Amino acid sequence: MTYVHRLSPALPVDAGVLGGKGSGLVTLMRLGLPVPAGFVVSTAACRDFLRDGRLPGGLAVELAAAVRDLETATGRTFGGADRPLRVSVRSGAAVSMPGMMNTFLDVGGPSAQTAADRLRAAVEAVFASWHTPRATSYREVHDVPHDLGTAVVVQEMVFGDRDEHSGSGVAFSRDPGTGVKAPYGDVLFGHRGDDVVSGRVATRPIEALADREPAVWAALLDGLDRAERHYRDVCHVEFTVESGRLWFLQVRPGGLAGRAAVRVAVDLADEGIIDRATAVRRVSARQIRAARVPRIRTGTPVLARGVGASPGVATGRIAVTADQAARMAAAGPVILVRPHTSPLDMHGLAAAAGIVTTIGGPTSHAAVVARSMGRPAVVGATALTVDPATGRVHTPDGSFAEGTVFTIDGTGGEVVAGPAETTTDDAGPHLSRLLGWATPGG
Amino acid sequence: MTDLPVLHTLRCLGFTDLDRVADAAGLTTPDTESRLIDLAVDGLVTRTPGAFGGWGLTEAGKAADARLVAAELDAAGTRREVTAAFEAFLVLNPELLDLCTAWHLRPVDGVPETNDHTDTAYDARVLARFVDLDRRAADVCAALTAALPRFGRYRGRLTAALDLARAGKREHLADTTTSYHSVWFQLHEDLLVTLGMPR
Repeated sequence: MTYVHRLSPALPVDAGVLGGKGSGLVTLMRLGLPVPAGFVVSTAACRDFLRDGRLPGGLAVELAAAVRDLETATGRTFGGADRPLRVSVRSGAAVSMPGMMNTFLDVGGPSAQTAADRLRAAVEAVFASWHTPRATSYREVHDVPHDLGTAVVVQEMVFGDRDEHSGSGVAFSRDPGTGVKAPYGDVLFGHRGDDVVSGRVATRPIEALADREPAVWAALLDGLDRAERHYRDVCHVEFTVESGRLWFLQVRPGGLAGRAAVRVAVDLADEGIIDRATAVRRVSARQIRAARVPRIRTGTPVLARGVGASPGVATGRIAVTADQAARMAAAGPVILVRPHTSPLDMHGLAAAAGIVTTIGGPTSHAAVVARSMGRPAVVGATALTVDPATGRVHTPDGSFAEGTVFTIDGTGGEVVAGPAETTTDDAGPHLSRLLGWATPGG
Repeated sequence: MTDLPVLHTLRCLGFTDLDRVADAAGLTTPDTESRLIDLAVDGLVTRTPGAFGGWGLTEAGKAADARLVAAELDAAGTRREVTAAFEAFLVLNPELLDLCTAWHLRPVDGVPETNDHTDTAYDARVLARFVDLDRRAADVCAALTAALPRFGRYRGRLTAALDLARAGKREHLADTTTSYHSVWFQLHEDLLVTLGMPR
């Protein structure tokens, strides 16, 4: 086949052809890890589509053949009546462009013809989404060539919302905030993956799997370990559990910053996974500068972790409405905690020393405003719920009245109760060793 | 009769000072203050004193505003057109937020760093995309203004912010209360309130 490549360990790992997602899945298969059966429509097909304005001739035939293979592999029929084959259709360019292009879940249909038509339409829509103005802006700003095109990954659907032994999650092989060697991530039982990243549903810490699905937990740890050893770096995975069975949907190496990047490089060298010269090469001067940004000290119990949206550490009494924040600010620093913010909260944002939202992401109103004012902010702290009626902030394990002191870290996204010790030196011992390795004779 | 132009302007600004209400409403400061005082007498707006004080709507004011803009839209008979324009706005909105974020933060060697604005080529690229987005936003604003003339003020305010940024006053992209982002967000709020949608 010219454009369509069946996902298999034998497929050459080439992100230029398969995209980052597709080549990561092949790598996972080579490591013996469970990946839903499927195929990749190459970036070449996308480039032809972008040039000609239509799907390349012959692609329909290749898709039909790939679907037949997938039917054989899964024992299900695409467009069939009884437990039919349904697929996910996801974008995946060679360069990560998170959230910029389309994804379609649960594609299928009442007849073979309808299902095939919908699959073709979904592939075309993913290709077309390469040229949306938003994606174009992203590439312009981040210096990504406009002519790369995206691959499309088509896989048998696995359902995180299938039953009580199902769920979805994301995991790092090490804590991305500190670099400590322990899996870190979120899991959402009974939901599909899109709910995990939406920031709209409260997730559970990844360790919740250990009690609830011990076999899945063991398989996840094993997978993270194998991926780390292969990439010789910290890894991030997306996964779905369907009826007690773990499936990996994506893997990406690296991506840590500051003190976490320093610690991971040094620990990987100590573990013999990389040599010291590689550790030194991996940590740029910028990473070292970032490692010295003031942070809440590692080891402080964390109430919730969202996304660090505006750097810096702030301590203050919590207020749950903008009006209260403006009133309380006269008496001392205030941390404004809101589900999300709007112009109606501007006076509270202006009065607050730090801002926390429980939903929304790093491009939300709260995040943009906080950065424009130079205030620390944490967004998407989904473990918190705000109750303006009672003036309380709830966590799964407790409840805090307005006026309680919180400290937030807008770099790592941590929210902690009480005043917290901050430090610029958490990476200290690791950083000293790394710098020692960088010195000739060190 | 309730002064809807000033009440609704303040509703979309949120909570703010007199000068910003006047600027957004296109009125003189004394005229705006006198109108706000009339609205306060009716219990629809209130002025909070203090360092973080300012003008804002009461709950009664929010309810009155919602009722009046709904009646205004019904009278205009253009709900379908405003809804279509809102859908077009929602396509542009994530891109605008991406650009504001890119203006503030910049990944360097995988580390998201505060954009220190020393890389003029980077800043120029971001600004160029604001300009490109603004061209597309102009179509949305034109459709909205045709449907409901009071939306016409947003076009001028967005253009004013972008012109200042292009003239070198780059804080007018996303860092001031009259920045492109601020006006954009008020337009977003206005559309939600006008169509009676929750945020």
